[in-house]
Amino acid sequence: MTRNLGFLVLAFLVLASICESAIFNPVSDSHRSAALDLFSPTDGTFRSLEETYKALRTFEVLGIEKKSDIRTSACASVVDTLRSTSSVLKDVFEALRVNGILKCELNDEAFGGIASRLKVSLSDANSLFDFYYSIGGLVLIKDQTSEIDLLIGDSHAIFRSIKALGQSDGRWRISSSNTDSSTSAAGIALETLAGVISLASSEVDQSLIATLINDVLRLFEGIERYDDGASYFDEKLVDASGHQGPLSASSSVVCGITAFAASTSESLNLPGEKILGLAKFFLGIGIPGSAKDLYYQIDALVCLENIRHVRVSTVLGSAPPLAVKLRQIFISGSKDASVIDQILKFDPDTAVHVLETLPANVDIGNHIFSFEIILEDAEDKKHYAIGGRTKVPVHVTGVIKFDDAEIAVLDSDLGNIETQKKYALHLSSCFTVWLFLDSLKPYVKLPPHTAPLGMEVGPAQACAVKVVVHDHSSIFTLCLFFDQRSSNQPETHSVVPGLELPGENAVSLSANHLQRLRLSFRLTTPFGHSFKPHQDFLGLVEKLFYLSGKYDIQLTVGDSVMENSFLQPLGHIELDLPDAPEKAAPPPPKHVDPYSRFGPKAEISHIFRSPEKRPPQELSLAFLGFVLLPLFGFLAGLFKIRANLNNMPKSTLPATFAFLFHSGIGSILLLYALFWFKLDLFTTLKALGLLGMFLMFVGHTTLSHLASTSTKLKSS
Amino acid sequence: MVAAPQKTLTISLFITLNLISILPLLTFSFNPDEPTNRQILVLLDDLSLRSSHSIFFSSLQSRGFNLDFKLAQDPAISVKRYGQYLYDGLILFSPSTDRFGGSLDLEGVLDFVDSGHDLILAADSNASDLIRNIAAECGVDFDEDTSAVVIDHTGYAVSETEGDHSLIAADDFIQSGVILGSKTIEAPVIFKGIGHSLNPENSLVLKVLSASSSAYSANPTSKLSSPPSLTGTSISLVSVVQARNNARIMISGSLDMFSNRLFRSGVEKIGSLKKHGKSGNQQFATEISKWVFHERGHLKAVNLKHNKVGETGEPAIYRINDDLEFSVEIFEWSGASWVPYVADDVQVQFYMMSPYVLKTLSTNQKGLYHTSFKVPDVYGVFQFKVEYQRLGYTTLSLSKQSPVRPFKHNEYERFITTAFPYYGASFSTMIGFFIFSIVYLYNK
Repeated sequence: MTRNLGFLVLAFLVLASICESAIFNPVSDSHRSAALDLFSPTDGTFRSLEETYKALRTFEVLGIEKKSDIRTSACASVVDTLRSTSSVLKDVFEALRVNGILKCELNDEAFGGIASRLKVSLSDANSLFDFYYSIGGLVLIKDQTSEIDLLIGDSHAIFRSIKALGQSDGRWRISSSNTDSSTSAAGIALETLAGVISLASSEVDQSLIATLINDVLRLFEGIERYDDGASYFDEKLVDASGHQGPLSASSSVVCGITAFAASTSESLNLPGEKILGLAKFFLGIGIPGSAKDLYYQIDALVCLENIRHVRVSTVLGSAPPLAVKLRQIFISGSKDASVIDQILKFDPDTAVHVLETLPANVDIGNHIFSFEIILEDAEDKKHYAIGGRTKVPVHVTGVIKFDDAEIAVLDSDLGNIETQKKYALHLSSCFTVWLFLDSLKPYVKLPPHTAPLGMEVGPAQACAVKVVVHDHSSIFTLCLFFDQRSSNQPETHSVVPGLELPGENAVSLSANHLQRLRLSFRLTTPFGHSFKPHQDFLGLVEKLFYLSGKYDIQLTVGDSVMENSFLQPLGHIELDLPDAPEKAAPPPPKHVDPYSRFGPKAEISHIFRSPEKRPPQELSLAFLGFVLLPLFGFLAGLFKIRANLNNMPKSTLPATFAFLFHSGIGSILLLYALFWFKLDLFTTLKALGLLGMFLMFVGHTTLSHLASTSTKLKSS
Repeated sequence: MVAAPQKTLTISLFITLNLISILPLLTFSFNPDEPTNRQILVLLDDLSLRSSHSIFFSSLQSRGFNLDFKLAQDPAISVKRYGQYLYDGLILFSPSTDRFGGSLDLEGVLDFVDSGHDLILAADSNASDLIRNIAAECGVDFDEDTSAVVIDHTGYAVSETEGDHSLIAADDFIQSGVILGSKTIEAPVIFKGIGHSLNPENSLVLKVLSASSSAYSANPTSKLSSPPSLTGTSISLVSVVQARNNARIMISGSLDMFSNRLFRSGVEKIGSLKKHGKSGNQQFATEISKWVFHERGHLKAVNLKHNKVGETGEPAIYRINDDLEFSVEIFEWSGASWVPYVADDVQVQFYMMSPYVLKTLSTNQKGLYHTSFKVPDVYGVFQFKVEYQRLGYTTLSLSKQSPVRPFKHNEYERFITTAFPYYGASFSTMIGFFIFSIVYLYNK
């Protein structure tokens, strides 16, 4: 009996589920470029041995040749770590792992030293990681050299003490003092126990292994499932390094189980669909974005088997003799299914099953091919789980012939052909018709039918738009695009009704009940069946919100199975629509062009008041001269009448007062002159007040003296 | 006995001091003074999105953002504590969530944006009413038909597995270097999701990535029974909003657009001969997230100064017809530091009810903008206003009040030649009076 850990993971099943959402191959060049991006050493070295190992392991699996670049620095680090007696257990383990890949130059002596050190640490290990690193290290040494005796004597005791950390639900505790159990610890524990079994000097007790298998099965009972069938182990424990997530936990468990299964001869009998679910989970992640996640994914996939090359193969071994059958073809959108029993041809060189001939009734459209796996050997059915029927969507596309395009304005509602004004549509392209069927190239190889099936359409086919479809089920969508570029109206609305071609051959647009615009065309499939659409557009006037003006018409004909979908501007029409009735919906608000809202504004500069108009300076000066003339006349008059000052008081005191009086008047006049030149009103008034009082006093004295003199003179 | 209350006091003081020391950890909206070390809450439908979209997240983390991942249903979600927001930004990658856990709801998200925080929202064909309503509040109306996705028969990305032409290769980007970066996005962006239209009444929302004119929004698996409601270039695939408080929002109809798978995938647009080894998604998502989180296009204006020509101090009041100089410095946040903003279209307004002067400022190419002009001959309370609204940039709205007075009475011209005849008349009369008074009194 072979080892019974066999799960036939149908690559089909996994991949088909993925190809619904993915557009790349499960593990592909994208993974390689991602790995190179994510694992990029700084100055040729990685930060730690752990990271070095993860990078090397990922590169190795993906087949990336980068070893030589890293080798020198990594080996130096490995040798340092292994020679040093003070290095941490974890580093020793990581160094051995790196060495396992790089094969650095280390002699058996060095290995011996490390081995004895690991054995010592094993004897006083108390946490799961201590066991893991010690046992793992010993296993790695065993793989790298055969000279040293690595067998451990007290394997039973070690086995029991590791097992003691296990919980009833299949999970493991990290150490005896820690009460939290973890799923990824279970994976580590299983890997460690597998190491113990392989290193044990005597056979490990079968009852111990049986309980362990029970633990594994219980662990699988706690698996989480997605709706699409993907399963994963969730990690509930949040340790110091943060939430590890389901990816690392699942990866750890898968690798633990693989190691365990490899080391024991007992049957594990794991549920097949859960293993399939796990494979789905790892592939469904796509390309992880972090180095750690990528490592976990790749490591888990390697543990599950080499799924790099997409083949029908088992996860943990090569495929048994089997056959793949194409069972049924469904056409999407209809319940019809054609039952076919066609066995795919197996190509032993590439291990790919090829569908050589396409069933005759496959035309363009969306189909679902249902494949089934049949094991040739009835005995194998006991060991392999088959993922059921695998449904693969296949899109058969083709070039659709488009001709007889015509656009016409009908003058009457009846659309009498005689009254049409016809305009030919020129669609100047040459179509060839071919079928291709390589949508699933990477998974199921189907020979691409690229041979043209004839039917060439010459350029510039005039009249009547014809779109050709022969297809019972496929949906053809015709969209008429009306873009109003109004020349005489400010509104710019784009009203874009689309329509389906339900089965007749013209699209007409009624402007009112007298005139209509008719677009007619014919679609023909490669098999020459014609298809006649017809649609009235009475409701369109409301859609245009009764806005008259110039409308551009674009015709889009397309479908997912039509390879020559196109968008064709047809020209423009002037629509003179009736006034909107009161109840009509108002046109929606205009869309403002986002670019026009931004940008600098026009500059504004202030217009200043213009200064008052003044007469020329000469004129003012001339008038000044005229104004001064009377003064000179006055002076001349005084001179003429021989005016004198003989009445001046002769005695000192009155003369002084008279002098002060006149100089007072003079200074007031001078003050007025100063006021004009520089003084302000307040200073002037102050000075005027003082001068006024002084003037009153001296004026009174002087005038009374003059009056008394004159009275004396009269009386005498 | 007396010591007990004192002890209580000491403890409460101790707690208060501790709280004060925690306070700086609470964050506010984008703060020009503290632009780094920002917290972002990421709400996911499923934690596996963390790894399937990890390139996008790690690009944010590498730019100094602290991402706090939570399930959208997590009852511990809270964005606000004691009236302070705990996050600067919110990423809603949870299209199918009907209700958020914890205290967050539609109002909470809107309040979060209203207080100046940024939001990235991605929907897909499972978008829930909650997500649709949040988008609708931002001026984005997703197609009401819940089964509809964007289909484009002439602009789809060639794919080996996908046959319904709903994987769109979109390359109709907004022409804005500040939103999408100065480097043009060569490869088309792969989009798979639902389309939306912009609410015409919302003037703040902008279409960043729009569908081609042959696209329409419909259910790809069923026959069209009525014309699709969204068609052509009116379909927006990705839109952004910059609110009046400079909070920025990005709304995308596709969550897959940000996934590692589409970031790394090659793209070949149907009908185009060029096959790109890598889609434009990563560049697009990275650049637009830089914009959303204010790493680009965030302006600040400082040192707004004005003075009379020939002086340095800022006068309390200007007189009409004064010549004045105006200057302001504008800087842009580059993600790491403030760099001078260089443009030639910054304008200043001298404004009272309406602008009296509107002038474009000249720049020294180092962030300083200056100009000089004459104060209008109208007096009143004026404002210097800088209203700078450019596509993608935060709005600068500065104003500084400065009154303008007319001439004082002694500031008018004193010796007007035209008036000389009047002065001549007055003074000649005065001189005549002086002589007359002497002659009259003393003539014999």
